[in-house]
Amino acid sequence: MAILEVKNLRKSFGATEVLKDISFTMEKGQVASIIGSSGSGKTTLLRCLNFLELPDAGQIIVGGETLFDAADPATQKERELRRKRLRFGLVFQNFNLFPQYTALKNVMLAMELLAKDKTADARNRRTPDEIEREAKALLDQVGLSNRMENYPWQLSGGQQQRVAIARALALKPEILCFDEPTSALDPELTGEVLRVIRSLKSSDRTMIIVTHEMAFARDVSDHVIFMDGGVIVEQGDPNAIINNPTQDRTIQFLSRFN
Amino acid sequence: MQLFFEQFPIVVRSLNVGFLQTLKLFFVTLIGAIPLGLVIALGSMSRVKPLSILSRVVVWIIRGSPLMIQLLIIFYFPGIVLGKPIWGGGEGGRFAAASAAFIINYACYFSEIYRGGIQSVPVGQEEAGLVLGMTKPQIFFHVKLSQVIKRIVPPMSNEIITLVKDTSLARIIALQEIIWAGQAFMKSSMGISGAIWPLFFTGVYYLACNGLLTLLFGWIERKLSYYKV
Repeated sequence: MAILEVKNLRKSFGATEVLKDISFTMEKGQVASIIGSSGSGKTTLLRCLNFLELPDAGQIIVGGETLFDAADPATQKERELRRKRLRFGLVFQNFNLFPQYTALKNVMLAMELLAKDKTADARNRRTPDEIEREAKALLDQVGLSNRMENYPWQLSGGQQQRVAIARALALKPEILCFDEPTSALDPELTGEVLRVIRSLKSSDRTMIIVTHEMAFARDVSDHVIFMDGGVIVEQGDPNAIINNPTQDRTIQFLSRFN
Repeated sequence: MQLFFEQFPIVVRSLNVGFLQTLKLFFVTLIGAIPLGLVIALGSMSRVKPLSILSRVVVWIIRGSPLMIQLLIIFYFPGIVLGKPIWGGGEGGRFAAASAAFIINYACYFSEIYRGGIQSVPVGQEEAGLVLGMTKPQIFFHVKLSQVIKRIVPPMSNEIITLVKDTSLARIIALQEIIWAGQAFMKSSMGISGAIWPLFFTGVYYLACNGLLTLLFGWIERKLSYYKV
């Protein structure tokens, strides 16, 4: 069964239609990369999945549960959306770490707040000890066990992004989204972040990565989606799309990278 | 010179009493205006149009007119125009009227500082909180508030130092603060008459008070300098 089904998603800002009838499905444990030029709607699509934007039309179905249906206002209540957001994680292009907290506290904060929330799922009702242990394990996983007590301004961009990844993993999202995770980094810092993302691939973690790193997209993904002008022009096997695109627009876009 | 040394302790005792009233007005204004400013700031930022328009009009009127006129209107308007004196006679009534005028005036200035501080927190901070499943109040208290405080300390310290000096405007409704006490010696007070130096000497009190405040705000800024926004 598909873990994620996106059906006929549409989103406009004013008169500009940014997403035009977007549909795709993902299986559990898959990694999908979304490629395309700036303004093609990639970021808006991720923001819709995390309910930072509400689509004007379409449905978002996770594990068979309809989380969002533009035709059904009952699925759009703010309280409900907050709970539903937890099924997704999002790593931002410019990290958005909380500057006043250490790396460790950045990872712990959401877990701590959720643990106090009486309406939260049982799996989130963790004790302070468990939370600290979990956060330290996550920072260790992204290679920052010696940076836990540093504040964001004391870390390089690559380290900050790795903290942000650990923070996103803390709430154990079913689907983890990355919005151009290396676009704000120096070329020499992108490698460490891409390595961490690659290491996260596992059978029970589904990931969607918006990226301009074509070689990375080809190597790490199970599925590639090429977007242009708010529509999915072409999608399928990464090698097929990136090495042998069939659509004119895809060929034109990829020619710049080869 | 000998006369000066005879006068000095008498003058200082009288100025101390006046300065106590100055400090009382200063602290009462802070206690009232700091929270009231937040209410006005939230009003200005509200998505409810009539509320935000009302808040902004109030801020425009209060910031756009002299505090001295506001003091006079608040003190005299109820009694003289409406025929309903609400402030009572004597020093207590004058203090209450001055407090009301200062609280309203400073709350409006503070509200604009708060608004600037809140709106300068990048939208990404709120979005990061949202995708981590935080509620709006959690985002405000655990993510934004510290960053807002860090940003508003310098402009708030400016405004609060101005407040120390602005309290002297309450002289216009004869509140017996330190300027009033100093001025009294120009006519006659405590057996001293025709002396202008006590009035000049009040400046030392303001300087000392603002020196302490400068140290305090410097300390707060250093406390918050462990991170960068």
